[in-house]
Amino acid sequence: MELQAIYIQFLALALFSIGLVVAISRRNIFFVLMGVELALNAVNLSFVGFSKTLPDTLSVTGQIVPLFTIAIAAAEACVGLAMVILIFRNRESMDANTYSNMKG
Amino acid sequence: MLPLWFIPLFPLIGTILLGAIAVISSGSKKGPAEGIVGTLAVAFPTFAFASVVLVAYTMPVGGIRETLCNWIDIPLFRADIGFLFDGLTRVMLLFITGIGALITLYSIGYMHGDRGFARFFSYINLFLFSMIVLVLSDSLLFTFLGWEGVGLCSYLLIGFWNKDLNNCKAANKAFIVNRVGDIGFILGMLCLITIGGSSLLNYESLNAFVRMLSGDMLATVLPILCLAGVLFFVGCTGKSAQIPLLTWLPDAMAGPTPVSALIHAATMVTSGVYLLARLSSMFVLIPVVLDIITWIGLLTAFWAAVAGLFQNDIKKVLAYSTISQLGYMFMAAGVVAFDASIFHVFTHAFFKAALFLGAGAIIHALSGEQDMRKMGGMIKKTPVTACVMIFAFLAIIGFPGFAGFWSKDLILEKLYVSGPMGPALYGVALLTAVITAVYMGRLIVMTFFGSYRGSKESEAHIHEAPVCMLFPMLVLSLGSIFAGYLWAEAIGLDFFKETLAPVVGGAQNLYFAAKGGVSHVNPLIFAGLGTAAALLGIFLALVLFGGRVPQAKGSSAPEGYKATWTFLFDSVHKYCGIIPVSVLAWLAEMVVDKILQGVQWTVGSLAEILGDGTRNLQVRKLRLQIALSIAGTAALIIIVLVTGGLI
Amino acid sequence: MLALIYFIILGVIALGSAICVFLSRHPLYGALSLVLSMVSLAGIYGLLGSPFVGVVQIMVYAGAIMMLLTFVIMVLNGARDSKTPMFDKVSLFVIPAVLALSGLVGFALVQAPIAFDASALRGSVALTSQTLFDTSSKGQGYFVLFEVLGLLLLSAMVAAVLLAKKRLGSINEGEDK
Repeated sequence: MELQAIYIQFLALALFSIGLVVAISRRNIFFVLMGVELALNAVNLSFVGFSKTLPDTLSVTGQIVPLFTIAIAAAEACVGLAMVILIFRNRESMDANTYSNMKG
Repeated sequence: MLPLWFIPLFPLIGTILLGAIAVISSGSKKGPAEGIVGTLAVAFPTFAFASVVLVAYTMPVGGIRETLCNWIDIPLFRADIGFLFDGLTRVMLLFITGIGALITLYSIGYMHGDRGFARFFSYINLFLFSMIVLVLSDSLLFTFLGWEGVGLCSYLLIGFWNKDLNNCKAANKAFIVNRVGDIGFILGMLCLITIGGSSLLNYESLNAFVRMLSGDMLATVLPILCLAGVLFFVGCTGKSAQIPLLTWLPDAMAGPTPVSALIHAATMVTSGVYLLARLSSMFVLIPVVLDIITWIGLLTAFWAAVAGLFQNDIKKVLAYSTISQLGYMFMAAGVVAFDASIFHVFTHAFFKAALFLGAGAIIHALSGEQDMRKMGGMIKKTPVTACVMIFAFLAIIGFPGFAGFWSKDLILEKLYVSGPMGPALYGVALLTAVITAVYMGRLIVMTFFGSYRGSKESEAHIHEAPVCMLFPMLVLSLGSIFAGYLWAEAIGLDFFKETLAPVVGGAQNLYFAAKGGVSHVNPLIFAGLGTAAALLGIFLALVLFGGRVPQAKGSSAPEGYKATWTFLFDSVHKYCGIIPVSVLAWLAEMVVDKILQGVQWTVGSLAEILGDGTRNLQVRKLRLQIALSIAGTAALIIIVLVTGGLI
Repeated sequence: MLALIYFIILGVIALGSAICVFLSRHPLYGALSLVLSMVSLAGIYGLLGSPFVGVVQIMVYAGAIMMLLTFVIMVLNGARDSKTPMFDKVSLFVIPAVLALSGLVGFALVQAPIAFDASALRGSVALTSQTLFDTSSKGQGYFVLFEVLGLLLLSAMVAAVLLAKKRLGSINEGEDK
């Protein structure tokens, strides 16, 4: 039994699913953000896992994209948290359901 | 060589400039400087006239064709903006721009002090532009543009003094009645398109097409061609105020007098005759329609002459005389004497413009009084105007040597030789000529002779018109004396006929060749009879109206949409046109509108119910939506997997 | 064989802590579980021969981002939120939907023939940086992306400051009144 490339993809898939479920089903806004981070992590893992199936120098590319993803995740977390602070100041609530402004 | 599009360009520039001035100065109390506006207003028609003269001199016999650009290019329909300058266009343009410029000059004096000075001249320039486009275009569609433009401008100008509701009603009436005719024009064009596609709208290709028709092919298209002819004629009756669409013209007197002169002499009403002459090659193929035209023209001429006998308003007399003269032109066109009818248009333009401008000068001198019963003895107060009017009067009744004599007698002669019905036609037309002389004589006698019947204080104000009004009148009176010598058959001059020969001569020769030649008669007999008719008319007028004049009671000012002495035509319109349409409109409102509203309401409320339901799913339920979209994606993938993705 | 054992251990830790994120009531516990999950993922990166990514993961993700998140959670005192339920009816609908989707993706993955390539480079830092900053015309051009990323981070920072700060103008207005 050796480590197979497909195992890594299944792990990534499982993590992604959990991240999605967390992001959508939890009502606390922090969990929504954490779910998104988890999903991004899973995507990174998938990238790295796939990159190892490529020959020679091509495999390096698969490591560079996760670096970008991490940087973007940092930016996203930064802005997202700032918005959370702003909204929290106005609404005094962590519940994502109460953030809607729409009438109806 | 001057490009043809220069000619309509000048009045268009004038319209835009003057319109801009009118809009800019609308806020100020004083209004724009009349000197500048007047100069601009006269300059552009004069430029147009000058360029027409220039082109007319250098024109080759066959005419000039010019295509400016493509206008409409869609499948099955193609139209160009093109110009055609040939003998017919030359004649029309010369007097349209020439008389138009003179009338514009006259208007400077007439409209002096009016608040809408710049606006008025902007409209006048637009009117001339439309008329030039109408005459100069090389296709029916582009002519129609000018046709509609003329209708619009007549609406704007008749209702120029729009503070008075009656004027607005008269303008509306003119516009709406003209629309009826315009529908005829459009349907006529559609008929032509049905026969041979949109290229038939071009006059040249229409002529070529008509020339090519023969035998079976002619028999096939003849019904549609007849229909097209009738429809075009309906269009002409609208613009040229023939039975049954004539009641708008007497009411059109509500506008300022120069406008009446412009509508009646140089522009608008002549467009119907122009169209008949332009489509002459088509009309000679359909004798049925020609007969209709003749009879309608005859009836109109006679009826309008009778109606003219009973008018007390000086302008209305002239309006009815215009209708009557137009009837003559249509008669001439109906007996395939298109050149004679255009010749009458030409001479009529001069003397009718002179008459209207003279009437305008008198109205101006009397500070707006239009009732002839309150005039009288004006020849002593305004001798120049009186001379002009009398010259024009002699021209219109066909006094020997004057313009109307040559053109009217020509038409009478053509009527006589037209066929088996000729003598009858001739008789009625000659009777009409007598009546014409009577009512015109009545106008002259009541206005210029006898003693003044108005109030004393108004008598003190009477004054001769200023020079800028007198000059155009003098020019026009010269025209009404000498214009006839362009085609004086009795003394062997037929310059005018030669000019028009390339346009309408072919069709006329074809027609008469098919009929087996023209019977020749001695023109001197007709000249003598015509002179006798004129003299008889003058004598009758002197006898009947020389002595006593009925006291003026009530106002004779135009009463908006109610023309007097229309011989029930207003009622005919009411019962045959307006009431059925009103019933239809009521039906449409009650039935169709309600049904449509019901359908609309149903659809709308369905959408509302659905929308409410959807809204409950959507609004404030972001997470549910994301979950739904995930489920939807999964469902799609499952479907693709199960069916193999080959649907 | 050894690699598989390590992978199983790290993968179980990652999955378990991810499930902990899902089930934890307080956001702070969730954040800590997430950090654990990320660290174990970093281990897997190392196992796969990309130690550089693993180190960045620990430094930036588990270090900086999660630290920021934890900090904000503490500042805003998210524990006050204990009244709202963790799950609602939507959650019950989401779980089967996501399971169905991931099941399908897994099905697709099973169908796909993928395997490690023997010639894949066990990535060194040097090789990664060479590819990343290859400014020659033959290169992939990642350095441009890298610069753009710098701009993105800068603008994100500015946006965050603008969003989160108290309005200076509002204070002044208050003083005026």
